[in-house]
Amino acid sequence: MSLQQFTSILGLLALGLVVGCGPVPSSPAKPQSITTDSGVPMIVIPAGSFQMGSDEHEADERPRHEVRLGTFLMDQFEVTHDLFVKAQLPNPSRWQDDSRKPVERVRWREAKLYCNERSLMEKLTPCYDETKPGWPCDFTANGYRLPTEAEWEYAARAGSSRLYSFGGVAKIKANSWFAENAGKRTHVVGTRRPNAWGLHDLYGNVSEWCQDVYDPDYYKSSPSHDPLGPAEGITDTKRVMKGGSWKASAAMCRASFRKGQRTGDTDACFFTDYCGFRCVRRVTAAEVESLLGKSPPEK
Amino acid sequence: MKSKKHPKTSGLLFGAVLFQALTLQAGNVREELADSKFSLVHEAYENNNWELFVTSADGKSSANLTNTPDVNELYPQASPDGAKICFLVDSGMGRATVRSLWVMNSDGTSRKKVTDRARQQCWAPDSQTISFLPQEYPKFNVTDYYTSGISFYDLPSGKTREHVNTKTLHHLYNISYAPNGKWIVATVHAGMGHRHTNLLIEANGSKVINLGIGGCRPTFSPDGKHIAWGAGDHELAVVPIDIESDHPKIGEKIFQVFDKQNKIYHVDWSPDGRFLSFSRGPNGKGDITKPGTYEAACEIVGVHAKGWDIFAVKVARGGSVTIGHKPVYDWQPLTRNGYSNKESDWFLPPSK
Repeated sequence: MSLQQFTSILGLLALGLVVGCGPVPSSPAKPQSITTDSGVPMIVIPAGSFQMGSDEHEADERPRHEVRLGTFLMDQFEVTHDLFVKAQLPNPSRWQDDSRKPVERVRWREAKLYCNERSLMEKLTPCYDETKPGWPCDFTANGYRLPTEAEWEYAARAGSSRLYSFGGVAKIKANSWFAENAGKRTHVVGTRRPNAWGLHDLYGNVSEWCQDVYDPDYYKSSPSHDPLGPAEGITDTKRVMKGGSWKASAAMCRASFRKGQRTGDTDACFFTDYCGFRCVRRVTAAEVESLLGKSPPEK
Repeated sequence: MKSKKHPKTSGLLFGAVLFQALTLQAGNVREELADSKFSLVHEAYENNNWELFVTSADGKSSANLTNTPDVNELYPQASPDGAKICFLVDSGMGRATVRSLWVMNSDGTSRKKVTDRARQQCWAPDSQTISFLPQEYPKFNVTDYYTSGISFYDLPSGKTREHVNTKTLHHLYNISYAPNGKWIVATVHAGMGHRHTNLLIEANGSKVINLGIGGCRPTFSPDGKHIAWGAGDHELAVVPIDIESDHPKIGEKIFQVFDKQNKIYHVDWSPDGRFLSFSRGPNGKGDITKPGTYEAACEIVGVHAKGWDIFAVKVARGGSVTIGHKPVYDWQPLTRNGYSNKESDWFLPPSK
């Protein structure tokens, strides 16, 4: 474990003490949404624990294990073309016919750059240090970053332990854009049903970058509190992608499915047209209260 | 040599030379380059700073043209008459960087700023006009296709005009003028309805033709009858093209350069059309601890590229050349220090 990861974990443990890490609600409360200062809808993901991974599927999903997480905010939708343009970033997407579609063909570094741009727009402290090789993440900063794969899966499951938060494979067409219904293209975000916590498109449309280095054996030794992924590699390691996409099979849309994806950071052109992302941000209980007070009441 | 035709080389003469070159076996490229009067201007990173260097065609001599330890100069382009060099200057850091277009005499004197937030410039055949790509948004981004529109700077008047179709020209990079002045060839990424391709853009009209080839960074041969481009990370290729047609089309590949291990990029023609230069080096994403550099693919302008050097190859065999393998008589390194030597451009320095 690197010193940076160690200090980050300490920071997150401290944060956990502040916000409380009680057991996951057996019946999740009604999702609470906020709108950020730059106008992005996010969902308040409650602190809690869940069973991560699967003992019945791919080898890299084993063993199923308990993970405990603190409170965080997660984008309600995948990052769209509109949001990329608002951050003055060049939109790399293959499909540019509707700016409400999710960005794709996004390199891992470009996703991190967007996170930092949004942090700066909202006068938050960026998580990624752009002056250091690999842009290391400060997990204690209050800005935006990519979710850890634990955060992603916890949010995707939304309190459910099934393959998909909405139930079995029979319901997937109503809940996600994947290979069998997407028509070989992306779709406007939020046009399939949300999960129980109000998050859209986690099971399809575009797959989503996570922060973690991909290690197929990581679950065998990962910590149970706020796992941040294996230590950073020196070389251009693969990173975890979660969630289905317009070209994924139903099996690849499962909550526990994980894929190691090359970052594309050393490629002049990155043509992987299912790679998108969404952002998360750690918050304290006081911040949540404040943010909820600022947001318009839910209908 | 992007977009230019050496004044001392007529089109007919060049055509004959190229035809002959493509049909005959190569001589020793080292000997032939040693006889050349051409030079190459290129960027290099030395002593924590980007500088422009002029290297002789045989690589035996190289001189720091800019010598500005506090200014980062990049992406030099020599005018077709060899009198001027336009180049980029990066000022500031990170997202606050301002990338500016400058021009100077080819001996390094009389530097003058043209405009801010511009990149990927090239010369028109008249040696009086610099075409460039305005930055897409005010905030800096190192991405090569971070552009919107095409503009033209007229050197004598100092005035800038936009391409007639500029509002539809989006995410272009590496523009290169055809010697007849009629077309500009460029790569487009995620713009103008294209995923990624290479386009012919009418220089003074609205016609846009998709060449239908992948890869990037195309450049016209001095006679306008061929295009060379990077067909992949490890391949450069040459195809014929008929630019006098209203709907130019390209033919089959007639020459290829391969490197199985290193990346090969930034191909450029010698003024006589007999040689190609290119940058070659290992894959990587730069070294952001170096001042004035960014983290991205090594081949991108402003990214430190340790181990990258300029090479020359003879367009002579009508087949292919593999760099790094023997025989070596048809290719030669022109720089050897690995100091991020990239973006070479051939020219004939004016006689003193």
